[in-house]
Amino acid sequence: MRWYGKENTCEEEEVMVKIRFFARFRELLGTDIMTDVVAGTMFTPLITTIAKKNPEGYAAIFDENGAFHEFVILMKNGKRIEIADAAKTMVVDGDEIAVFPPVAGG
Amino acid sequence: MFSERELERYKRQIMSFGEEGQERLKKSHIFIAGAGGLGSPVSIYLAVAGVGTITIVDMDVVDQTNLNRQILHFDRDIGRKKTASAEEKLQELNPDITINAIDVKIDESNAGKIIGRADGIVDAMDNYPTRYLLNDVAIAKQIPLFHGGIRGFYGQATTIIPGTTPCLKCIFPKAPPSEVFPVVGVTPGIIGMVQATEVLKYLLGIGELLTGRLFIWDGMQAHAEEICVERNRACEACGGMAKKTRARKKK
Repeated sequence: MRWYGKENTCEEEEVMVKIRFFARFRELLGTDIMTDVVAGTMFTPLITTIAKKNPEGYAAIFDENGAFHEFVILMKNGKRIEIADAAKTMVVDGDEIAVFPPVAGG
Repeated sequence: MFSERELERYKRQIMSFGEEGQERLKKSHIFIAGAGGLGSPVSIYLAVAGVGTITIVDMDVVDQTNLNRQILHFDRDIGRKKTASAEEKLQELNPDITINAIDVKIDESNAGKIIGRADGIVDAMDNYPTRYLLNDVAIAKQIPLFHGGIRGFYGQATTIIPGTTPCLKCIFPKAPPSEVFPVVGVTPGIIGMVQATEVLKYLLGIGELLTGRLFIWDGMQAHAEEICVERNRACEACGGMAKKTRARKKK
């Protein structure tokens, strides 16, 4: 929340981030999703919100407890985010987020 | 030294990397884990390029459902050991190289021994447990692992130089669940060609390897991209290895 100084106005600052899904996740959820989120949003709730648009896509990325499946790879601006850190990693304006599964076939 | 036949066979690529390069390929030994979707194109192209010794390992027999992508095997091979089928085709493609086809399931007890003194390992497997095993052997022997994986129209590849680049466990610490995955033959074709190109460049000591980068192919969008990947200092497979600088086959 940020006070903009206008009388009786208290607006929430929004930031724009881009979410890129790969492989199976892309089939289920699309890719290059540009979205506005409230400043201070953490990584996990952001991906959760986007993934919930398709139950199958959500189930591909999250387990029944709402935690990332342990094989899911998360990247922010080309840098790995450990699953354990995702809930406390804040997204900032212009972030590019990649979410992908290892593909196993050969 | 090359026979006249070999010089003719390789004439057009000797134009690219010289007889010395061709000699390096001839003296090389590449281990290909799997004679399936990825193993087929990789082995075919390494064979025709003149990689002197190719060991190819598989435990399966040819099934009709393999034939949409496993181009080493023909309709007449259904029910035959993939290794027998692979050895026959590869030897016919290039009679001037040595093919070792080993019919075995790669496991902890035999991996180090069958990989032997190979110059590099091609990951043409269809599961992560065996990939992790190949990764361990590559680290132990300090030889490169040329990783590839596919699903449907999607694929990924990277070149792992132990001690220099992230290893497979750094990039993918946890295996995805096993499944009967969809696959269209063109996808292992593309990813297999990326792997085979990497093998040739590594053996020849030319170009820039696909190191520290994960190549990701989306056939549906006809879009390729790469993601930078880094070593995990706490990696259970390679975390203890000191950084090395050599990323080329020894002359």
